[in-house]
Amino acid sequence: MDPVLLPGPQGPQIFTPIPSLSLASKLDNQERSSCLISIRPHEAAQRAFGESERRGYGLSLGLRSPRTHTGLPSLGKGPWFGLVLGVPVTYSGTYKPTGSKHRARAAPDPPPLFDDTSGAYSSQPGGYPAPGADVTFNVNHLLGDPMANMAMAYGSSIASHGKDMVHKELHRFVSVNKLKYFFAVDTAYVAKKLGLLVFPYTHQNWEVQYSRDVPLPPRQDLNAPDLYIPTMAFITYVLLAGMALGIQKRFSPEVLGLCASTALVWVVIEVLALLLGVYLATVRSDLSTFHLLAYSGYKYVGMILSVLTGLVFGSDGYYVAWAWTSSALMYFLVRSLRTAALGPDSVGGSAPRQRLQLYLTLGAAAFQPLIIYWLTFHLVR
Amino acid sequence: MSNLGQFDTDFYQSNYTIDNQEQSCNDSNAYGNLYGSGKILLKFIFRAYILSLFFLFSELGINFDHIWQKTLTVLNPLKPADGSIMNETDLTGPVLFCVALGATLLLAGKVQFGYVYGISAIGCLGIHALLNLMSSSGVSCGCVASVLGYCLLPMVILSSFAIFFSLQDAFGIVSALVIIGWCSLSASKIFISALDMEGQQLLIAYPCALFYGLFALLTVF
Repeated sequence: MDPVLLPGPQGPQIFTPIPSLSLASKLDNQERSSCLISIRPHEAAQRAFGESERRGYGLSLGLRSPRTHTGLPSLGKGPWFGLVLGVPVTYSGTYKPTGSKHRARAAPDPPPLFDDTSGAYSSQPGGYPAPGADVTFNVNHLLGDPMANMAMAYGSSIASHGKDMVHKELHRFVSVNKLKYFFAVDTAYVAKKLGLLVFPYTHQNWEVQYSRDVPLPPRQDLNAPDLYIPTMAFITYVLLAGMALGIQKRFSPEVLGLCASTALVWVVIEVLALLLGVYLATVRSDLSTFHLLAYSGYKYVGMILSVLTGLVFGSDGYYVAWAWTSSALMYFLVRSLRTAALGPDSVGGSAPRQRLQLYLTLGAAAFQPLIIYWLTFHLVR
Repeated sequence: MSNLGQFDTDFYQSNYTIDNQEQSCNDSNAYGNLYGSGKILLKFIFRAYILSLFFLFSELGINFDHIWQKTLTVLNPLKPADGSIMNETDLTGPVLFCVALGATLLLAGKVQFGYVYGISAIGCLGIHALLNLMSSSGVSCGCVASVLGYCLLPMVILSSFAIFFSLQDAFGIVSALVIIGWCSLSASKIFISALDMEGQQLLIAYPCALFYGLFALLTVF
């Protein structure tokens, strides 16, 4: 067998598997019996390794790091022992469960090279939860090439590890529960809200309703902002831009990406500006970032309508639609943000502060027609 | 079936050597016997091959009955779906349909496998994120990929139309819209019944319609 380069605890290391001839002489009966591979914490493997917190796959013999390794970083342990081998191989030399390992255990662990993101894993001393696979392989049925098996198992464990790392990072930035509130919509709400965005003049009650200081989800309250409509409207706008450019024979995939990123950048700028304004005006409200994102995303509905009208009825239709949707959106925003900015406990606040809030909402509203025009006029030329 | 061809030639080769070795008197008689026993042998080899395929598929977890059931569910979008059919994440059917779509596009003259894969991947991720946010119980990415792949079957039908006549006229656009509606309705129906979301079918159907609309763009233009 060829020496193989594999990641080790201190970086890639070369391991030379020794054919199983030497294996039999070095195994005891337990290890020999555990040659049937299973991707599950295997007590025989742990016994063979001689320590309870050894995480490993059921294959008791594997490519192990050289004897000199002491403090394995936790990241190194997991995927390291994810190697599932089709052929029992062992490293040169016998494995001593005592000795250097226990000495190292007494000393404090060296600082790990990676963050221990395997939160669920570290709590289980003896187990490595397999990435959803409780499969028992028979040695005969695997691919003939043991290196391919190793690569496959290593790759799958790396993939699951990567997925968990992504989840953890995501949870650090975005609270999924808060985000779920904005997506708790149903068809009736979406239909009514779209109607409201186009014709808000007859709507009377703009207050967001609360139940015990918690705002009601959009399903039960028409005035609550949601993120479903802005997201879908944004994606539809990008696709519509692509289609409009295609009709004008100006389409290419780069232009689509350009449109999408331009729109996204403008949304980000607007949300940041609003956040800055809210902070400066010290508005004591529960207008979080997602609220502002929702309110600034509602303009995409107007944009889509303008572009559609412009495509069907030409330039005049575009301007008429632009004027109508802009005024409707301005009215909608002013009415919604004024009541939303006050919050559940609407203390009056000082007069200058209230004026500041008013200026903020008026400024945000006045910005909408400009940005709608800027992002759509080149599509209906 | 290429293996079978190999069997065929092997068989005939061995037949020839046996023929050479045995010193038989009547040539035609010998040939007749050999052909008869050859047919029986051929049938036996064929059956053994099919049996081994069957064992291989069951070992790999490919259940043709389930695949056929799910395909029937997709093909009839108005019939309410059973929520439990999506319990096992089966990616065989979807991959098969994706490859069939690529093949029919190829027959129509458009080599766009890369776009098919790219759109599928991005669309799956997007709809997976959306469904996780909209439903009370989460979904796995494999389940989403499986459902979306199964509902790609009408799109394969559309692209097989595109082989024979161009879809850029009014009839083509109308049929593309009908097929998109069909795909997204069945996908949203399966999602609703599997995830137990009420009152959100049209909301789920819309992003699915966008997703399949991209495929229709590939097929039509």
